[in-house]
Amino acid sequence: MTEIALPAPPVRRDGQALRGVQKAGLVLLATLLALVVVGPWLVPYPADATVCAGFARPSLAHPLGCNDVGQDLLAGILVGGRVSLAVGLITATVATAIATALAIASAWRGGLWDVIAMRAVDAVMALPFLPLVIVLSAFFGASVTVQIAVLCLVLWTQPVRELRAQAQALRAADYTDAARAMGGSSWHICTRHILPELAPLIVPQFVRIAHAAILTESALSFLGLGDPTAKSWGTILFHANARTAFLTDAWVWWVLPPGLLIATSVVALALIGHGVGDRRADGTVAATPRTGTARPRGTEAALETAGLTISYGDQTAVSGVSLTIARGETIGLIGESGSGKSTLAMAILRLMPPAAEIRDGSVWFGADDIAGLSPETLRSLRGRRIALIPQAAMAALNPVHPIGAQIAEAARVHGFTDAIDRARRLMAEVNLPEDRFSAYPHELSGGQRQRVAIAIALAAEPEVLIADEPTTGLDVLVQKAIMDLLAALSHARGLTVLLVTHDLPMISRRAARLAILQNGRLVEEGAPEDLATTARHPHTQALFASVLRLDAPKRWVRESAGQTVLEARDLSVTYNAGLAGRLRGAHPVDALKAVSLTVRAGEVVGLVGGSGSGKTTLARAALGLVRPTGGLVTVAGEPPSPGGPAAMVFQDPYQSLRPAMAVGEAVGEPLAIAGHSASAIREDVRAALAEMRLPHDEAFLARRVSSLSGGQRQRLAIARALVAAPRLLLADEPTSMLDQSLRMDLLATLEAARATRGLGILFVTHDLALARHFCDRIAVMEAGRIVDHGAADAICQTPAHPYTTSLLAAAEA
Amino acid sequence: MVWLRVVAAYAAVLALALTLNFALPRLAPGDPLGFLLPEDVLAEMSAEEEARVLAEFGLDKPVAAQFADYVSGVFAGDLGVSLRYGAPVWEVVAGRLPWTLLLMGWALALSALLGTALGVMAARRQGEMRDIGTTVLVLAIGSAPVFWVAMLLITLFSARLGWLPSFGAVPLMAVPGSWGYVAGVAERLILPVTALTIAQTAGVWLTARSAMAVALSRDYITVARAKGVPERAVFWRHALRNAALPIYTNVSIGLGGLLGGALVVETVFSWPGIGQLVVQGVEARDYNLLQGVFLVATLSVVAANLLADLTYPLIDPRVRR
Repeated sequence: MTEIALPAPPVRRDGQALRGVQKAGLVLLATLLALVVVGPWLVPYPADATVCAGFARPSLAHPLGCNDVGQDLLAGILVGGRVSLAVGLITATVATAIATALAIASAWRGGLWDVIAMRAVDAVMALPFLPLVIVLSAFFGASVTVQIAVLCLVLWTQPVRELRAQAQALRAADYTDAARAMGGSSWHICTRHILPELAPLIVPQFVRIAHAAILTESALSFLGLGDPTAKSWGTILFHANARTAFLTDAWVWWVLPPGLLIATSVVALALIGHGVGDRRADGTVAATPRTGTARPRGTEAALETAGLTISYGDQTAVSGVSLTIARGETIGLIGESGSGKSTLAMAILRLMPPAAEIRDGSVWFGADDIAGLSPETLRSLRGRRIALIPQAAMAALNPVHPIGAQIAEAARVHGFTDAIDRARRLMAEVNLPEDRFSAYPHELSGGQRQRVAIAIALAAEPEVLIADEPTTGLDVLVQKAIMDLLAALSHARGLTVLLVTHDLPMISRRAARLAILQNGRLVEEGAPEDLATTARHPHTQALFASVLRLDAPKRWVRESAGQTVLEARDLSVTYNAGLAGRLRGAHPVDALKAVSLTVRAGEVVGLVGGSGSGKTTLARAALGLVRPTGGLVTVAGEPPSPGGPAAMVFQDPYQSLRPAMAVGEAVGEPLAIAGHSASAIREDVRAALAEMRLPHDEAFLARRVSSLSGGQRQRLAIARALVAAPRLLLADEPTSMLDQSLRMDLLATLEAARATRGLGILFVTHDLALARHFCDRIAVMEAGRIVDHGAADAICQTPAHPYTTSLLAAAEA
Repeated sequence: MVWLRVVAAYAAVLALALTLNFALPRLAPGDPLGFLLPEDVLAEMSAEEEARVLAEFGLDKPVAAQFADYVSGVFAGDLGVSLRYGAPVWEVVAGRLPWTLLLMGWALALSALLGTALGVMAARRQGEMRDIGTTVLVLAIGSAPVFWVAMLLITLFSARLGWLPSFGAVPLMAVPGSWGYVAGVAERLILPVTALTIAQTAGVWLTARSAMAVALSRDYITVARAKGVPERAVFWRHALRNAALPIYTNVSIGLGGLLGGALVVETVFSWPGIGQLVVQGVEARDYNLLQGVFLVATLSVVAANLLADLTYPLIDPRVRR
């Protein structure tokens, strides 16, 4: 079995306490097991022999006394423990194995098979558990084997749903897709990728079943359905109950010990399972107010941080940031992932995650230091004077309250009596239809939700807006609309805006001033035009150098191209919903409608379009993962099949490479699937890593993917794609998840591989500026069709289709 | 249309229970007559008599016809005759069911209230040492077998202290409906309800604690705080309102477990509900009675879960149509 690397647990004291709880459970269980395995040999009497007078009180010879027929109770309890624990553990093993196999099979097969299996599981689970077990045991007779069989028969259903849900997620994961594209069989993917990832979930399920089995066995035996020839803790209590031992002194030595032992073994299991399943969530947010110092000087600043230092435990996220935001200005806070920009922004409202703490410095707002305000003063300020537009409005709206009420609440809590009217007016201002007032968040589109979030922020007429990546995850055209709206509203109200983002081209056009954050430090600030030309800090220079502008001269100009490596002619793909889907009322979807496109060796063709335009389907058809419903597609002259001459690089290297794999294993997987020898694989893997300018020594090959940075992982993903010497590379937005400063570097390595290998590259992206510079030709897709197609410069300078024009406008705005 | 699918799903559960009940005597090892008649009677029967009995019970017909007879019989209220009581199973079980429901009703209400209140409060102190201590304590309480808890309650409150009766549901001398009768029943309810509530509360507590913790960690809570919503309203209107959904679902799923607990507790207190029938059925090898209890138990749990499912859209707008 592969060793499992759990996702790195957050370094927190309570996490350790939880692991302590788990350890205590393991020790407890091990002690009990040792006791019942070894114990019976240490007691000089067999459990089923009459060795003393009936109902004898405890004595030195019989520490727990005797039962009604003169059997030693201590011997009985120790022997009985074997039965009780064995029933629990054997049942758990068998039932978990069945559940896991079924969950994976069901998730993998999907469709009608899955629906029927899950309906069956639901039906069995809806039966009242104990009456079912009772009636089964009664018919099949009282024996330990029957008990185990009956418990397995009923308990296997419990983990199936949860395991299947996880297996479904794993099945949809990019690394599963990647393995499929390499030609990996179902068995290979299920056992090498899904099962190891599922294992951390299987453990708590095992524990839960063992827990239920031990309790149920005791209940069954207590009801007289136990094996009359085998003592268990439950049967001992059955006899104690039948002789009403609990009404006499005998309860201390006859009733108490077996029950305590059942409870102890079950609690041991519960502790083990609890530590695994528990996820810590935020508690209260209010940070400890610090005593404020007097503000150094009076200025016209709306907001000012002075030497602000914030840390998560020992790690400093923001160190000594002093930033002044003038009244009415829009300032962009720029930084890459982990730069501390969100922490800084949330600190202004003192809404950091609970683990974060302001260590030093102040946040001046007028004469107040926000870092030192009392909770009530802070509350009256939030929303009323400084408001937040959160990241990902998807999760930011409360799912159980109508959106109108959520907007109105923001005004009402600050004493506005006309909150409802205000909410209606704001909805009109952010262009939400009036009849959506009573709609719930799930009934809105992503863009509409973000509009609600803006309305909430404006409801109590604040002076300052903090917008934390307000357009992340939205379609390009929607992003532009939201940013336009935000700009218009804040301008009309004269608001001060702090806009947090990683999108340098966008913020350069929107903000009057930029503040650049790197590793928690403010490295430079200034007007975008000035920074673009005369930045002093190397990080700022690198950032601006990596921006691809639509109006700059084309960066990559290539010469002739060779043979055709990809040809699609009138290619159509329709996704059928399948029988199960059709029963639910789903319709077939035309993902590609008569698409024609060629890519030649040594050529880079850009495929540009919004989400859902069919870009990815085209790539999957070229891999042979989806079958055309019309027209034809060939790769290097052959119909495509997984493991063939096309290879894919996915968008997100965090998802396309399974983190628990070793570097050598991950890169060599296409060759292992193709059946190459271990030594040949090793040679090829090293060569591919070297080509991607990654280390290729033994130590690096043995490292886990999870220990690498995002940039390294994407290089690794490209190495994996190149290791089987493909003719065609399908690159699905390979730079979009990377930080700006890493993008140029990755494109350069990709270009080098193209040049030396004569690769044809189909480059999927939503970024028209990037496509213009990196691609020789561009095809624009909308709703499954190619609507515009031509040389990269021609598409951008003289767009033929209105959709291309609107994409260009979004890229320039 | 959603409710139609829900009803269909529960109809499938009932069909499964009926099929199981029908199949068990035919699949289990041994003679089907052995599940119908006492052993001593069977031993003395001649071959003709056996054939006559088989015909009388319709056991000589094809299996499909037998199944049709069985299902139509069940829908007409015919669950066979109990050997132990010599009366129709349906009558025996129906007479006992209200007592079990009385026990379950109290335990359900108390455990749901207590578990939610304590669990939600515990969620405020996530991760502190005290919280971990409480969690371990609750897990320990939830791990004790319910019948054992019941025995200890009797030992303490009946045998030692003599405060409460430990046997039956009805005072012997009181006239049904009189004040003394009601008071007597109430007195006898306390211990079994306590045992059942103790066992059931742990599960609700754990659900409530984690549901509340998850709700409090959501982005919408941060947004509510950023709006300036007072902490009290953040807790009730935003967090608890969302945490209520999994708590409601979990309590309704737990009904089956509660019923199982009630069956076991009843045997300790000689409570005259259907749990006592189980023990008598096992002792007397009264298979008809056991099957009847199983079917009625399934029917009750399915009806309750159906009700819970159909009312769920009232509290969760996302599944409304």
